[in-house]
This record gives sequence, structure tokens and C-alpha cells, in this order.
Amino acid sequence: MPYQFDEILETIRMTETENFDIRTVTLGISLRDCFDRNIEVAKQKIFDKIIKYGRNHVRYAKEIESQYGISIANKRVAVTPISIPFDAFHRDDFVEIAKTLDRAAEEIGIDFIAGFSALVQKGFTNGELEFVNSIPYALSETKRVCSSVNVASTKAGINMDAINLMSEVIKSLAKKTKDNGSIGCAKLVTYCNVPEDNPFVAGAFHGISEPEVVINVGISGPGVVLDAVKEAGRSDLNTLAEAIKKTVFKITRAGELVGRSVANKHKIPFGIVDISLAPTPAIGDSIADILKAMGVEDVGAPGTTAALAMLNDCVKKAGLMASSSVGGLSGAFIPVSEDAGMISAVQKGNLSIEKLEAMTCVCSVGLDMIAVPGDTPATTLAGIISDECAIGVINDKATAVRIIPVHGKKVGEMVEYGGLLGSAPIMEVRKISSANFVLRGGRIPAPTRSLTN
Amino acid sequence: MKITEDEIRRITLEAVKELGDKATPDIVKSVVEKSIENFSKINKENIGTEITSGRIILTSFGLNSSGIIAQITKTLSDFKCDIRDLSQKIMDEFYTMIMVIDITNSPNDLKEIQEAMKKVAEELKVKIYIQHEDVFRFMHRI
Repeated sequence: MPYQFDEILETIRMTETENFDIRTVTLGISLRDCFDRNIEVAKQKIFDKIIKYGRNHVRYAKEIESQYGISIANKRVAVTPISIPFDAFHRDDFVEIAKTLDRAAEEIGIDFIAGFSALVQKGFTNGELEFVNSIPYALSETKRVCSSVNVASTKAGINMDAINLMSEVIKSLAKKTKDNGSIGCAKLVTYCNVPEDNPFVAGAFHGISEPEVVINVGISGPGVVLDAVKEAGRSDLNTLAEAIKKTVFKITRAGELVGRSVANKHKIPFGIVDISLAPTPAIGDSIADILKAMGVEDVGAPGTTAALAMLNDCVKKAGLMASSSVGGLSGAFIPVSEDAGMISAVQKGNLSIEKLEAMTCVCSVGLDMIAVPGDTPATTLAGIISDECAIGVINDKATAVRIIPVHGKKVGEMVEYGGLLGSAPIMEVRKISSANFVLRGGRIPAPTRSLTN
Repeated sequence: MKITEDEIRRITLEAVKELGDKATPDIVKSVVEKSIENFSKINKENIGTEITSGRIILTSFGLNSSGIIAQITKTLSDFKCDIRDLSQKIMDEFYTMIMVIDITNSPNDLKEIQEAMKKVAEELKVKIYIQHEDVFRFMHRI
């Protein structure tokens, strides 16, 4: 027999009982050739192009799914940041484009389409300003469109004007979608050092240096890693790191195989594998549980940041060895609402926003899916976003904020989103003001790290 | 088409055997052309099997009872699948079985075999997983 008994059983165990899945196969499509002065023509071009390349996306992914027995949880599409090709348009035009994207996504049978995005870390063009102002309307009037805005980078510094504007956008979007727990904000990410090939929605887009079309794959598998950690028992940390790396190596290999196979079917290039441990609300599919299995009593205990740093590093190292095309965010995500263990830590009072912020220094993204009271001032949101940007800029890493000021809710209440978005406890935010700092506006200059030329 | 030295020697020997001393340039030409044609036909068939070399791995486990393997192998034979390897263990009342199967000569594709096995699994009340071999090769071999 070419394979050992236990090798085969290990694969079956991963796919059948430990929730190992390909989290997303994301088809990136460039829309840079879709501009036209006439908005109606532009809309038609966008729609046609997405249908042309995306028509078979779901079907192909399903075929590969049954061929390898590995489920592909999400099939999605990312497009060129909309603000770039359509810079000449105005606010209402951008809302129309969002609706077109929504319609195209529905037509090809996917749940989310991402790339309603802008890159404004150094400043706004006129079009970008119109675009950002369109976000509350665009996201509240569509179901499937996801948006992201990059407001800081190590090279450019932190654009505080953009952060202030984004905070207002978040507040306005929360109000516009107040009947659904301010769900609009769950589809909006504010980024620092955004990667251009991230396949994970809501923050995905088809970067400007990407080819015409590309397939990127996001792999997940907190359940698989959790079982590996449990199996390692009371070993020392070196041994534990080895155990995690071995497991992640295997799932990354499977991800690469799936990605390449889907790309082959489409006859388009394969881009990257993003090996990110992304939790889901399902039991056992939790990053918090891994941290607890590593030894901290609950997420938020002293030592949590160190445990997360080690986990994140193991994931990256194993991913690098397993695939020659690792990209995107690659690491561990620590969203609150999507992780049953995180939710329970918040409810028990063990995990605060401040501790989460510390954890984002070593995880792969940032403050993700965090619900805060609806009356949190925009300037406080701006303070939180600028803190995250500072971590990203100084450490030369991607950070992001997906925060939801849930309209009408107070600390301790819960908000239910259902599906992969889960449910979020409203977390406490410090009442002391950041206003006089953030309202100075302007840009925090790029740090010395930026001068690497 | 690429012809190896060995193949050239075989073509030559064949020509010599057939023509003896009657050989003229034109006759030699036609005989050689015919042999090359035959070779390329054979090669094409070989290449065909290599490209679609479809091996799948069937894993099955559950409570042991009589006729499980019989039922599974019968279904495979209905689909003209070739069993390349089979390994089986009984642990207390449970059985586990792993098969490596070549489906190259099967007129049916993987999906149809999976569907059929799903029914078998339901009848026998056991679990049957069928996956393409590639996934195991990628995960466990470098």
C-alpha cells in the first residue's frame, strides 16, 4: 500500500470530524477596463465581466470539493478597488456600482463580493472622497457587497483625516442598518498595510498589481490544530510548536492542491494560499480553544499574547514550507463574534478590548467583529482605529478594525447575526475622550522603518 | 514523436526480417513508415493512461458484519474499477478498510462512483469515504 493506514485515517479525521475545510476560494477579477463616462455603460461592463469569469465559479469549486472530499466553505469574488477605475464618478454613481456588484453576485450564486474599496493612506483624490462618502448608502442598500478602506501604511504613515472620516462612515452605517443589529459594519474593514491578495472577505480585493483574473485560496482549520495541541499533551513549548507546524503543513498542502485544481478548471492562473486560522461559531472551530489547550485558563489571562504569538508564528512557518505561494494575511484571526470561546471569555469579563488590542500586535490581522455600545462617539472609534494603525505601521504588519457600534445596545447585551458572523456581546469601551487628539487631523508621519530604500 | 534508440533498432530488425535481400529504397521507406505508425499508436495509448491515471482511495469503517467487502467490491466491479491494494483490520466489533482503486478504465467518473457508494454505505450502515489519491499524496508525501 503506497500510504500508511494512519496517514489515511488522519486525513479522513481532519476532513470529517475536525472541521478542516478550505474556507474560501476567491476569484479575483480586474475591473480596470470597465470604465466608461456613461455610468450605465460602466455598470453593464462590470456586470458582464463578473458573469463572464464567475459563471462557473461555484460549480467548479463544488466539483473539486467532491473529488478530494474536502469541503470548500465559501466561494467568493474580489474585484479591483472600485475607487480606482471609477475615480471620475460621484457618490450616487458609486452606490449604483455597489448595486450592480450585488446583482452580479446573486446571479453567479455567491454570498459575498468584495472590493468596494479604496486606498487612501496618504490622501484622497476627489473620486476617493466621493467613494468613501458613498459607503454607508452602498452597504445599507445591498446585501452581498463588502467594503474595505486602507487608511495607513508603514511607507505613508497614518492618515488621521481618513480615520476620522471612516469613523463617521461607521457610525452612519450602524444607524442605517440599525434594524439588523447594525450589520452593515460587519461588511466594512478599515485597514493598515492591507495585502493585495487576501482571499478572505470582507477585507478582500483584487490588488492593482494582480493579473486580469486569479484564484486565491484561504485555508482554515482551528479544529485540526486544536486536536494536534491536545494530542501533544503536556509537552514543552518546542515540542508543541513542532506538533502545530506539522499539522498546518499538511492542511496547507491540501489547500494548495485544491486551489490549483480550481484554477486549472477555470484555466486561469493560481495566485496564493492564505493559511489563516479563521474560527467559525461551530463548537471546536475556535482560536480561543487552541489558546486554552495551550495552557491559559481563559483568553485574556496573562500569557495569552505569548501563546497567540507562538501559534501565529508556527502557522506562518509551516505555511511557508508547504507552499511556494503563501500570501494574503496568513496567521491566526481573532474575531470575537465568530468564535464561541472568545464570546464566552468576553461574557465572563476575562477579555477586554485593551487585551484584544495587545493580541493584535502578534496575530495576523486586528480588532475583528467587535461590537461596542451604539453611543460610542466617532472620535473614540477614531482613537481605536488609530491605535491599531499605529501597531501596524510600527511593526510593518497588516492590521485592521471591523468594529460595530450597535445602535441602541448597551454593554453586556448580545447581538445576533447568524451564520458565519455569529453573535457578539457588546464590549465595554473606555469613556475617556480621544477627541482632542484625533481631531487635530492631518497625517502621522511615516516611521523610520519606512526608509528602507 | 520521440523514438528511442531501442525502438529504432527494433524497427530496423523488423524491416530486415520482412524484406531480406529484396530491399529497395522505396520498399524500406514504406515498411519503416508503417512501423512508426504502429509505434505511435501504442505510445498514444500509453500516454492516455498516464494523463488520466485516476487512482482513488476508498476508506470504510463501521460495525463489522458479513458481506460488507463483498457488497463494496461488487459495486466497484460493476463500475469496472480495478482494485490495486486492499488493507483491512478488525478491532473488536469494528472493521476498517482502505482500498486503492484505479478508475482509469471505468466508464463512470468519480462523482458517479461516489453516489453509488453513498447508497451502499446507507444500506450497510457503515461509513464510506472516497477521495482522489492526490490529496493524500500532497498531504503526506513531499
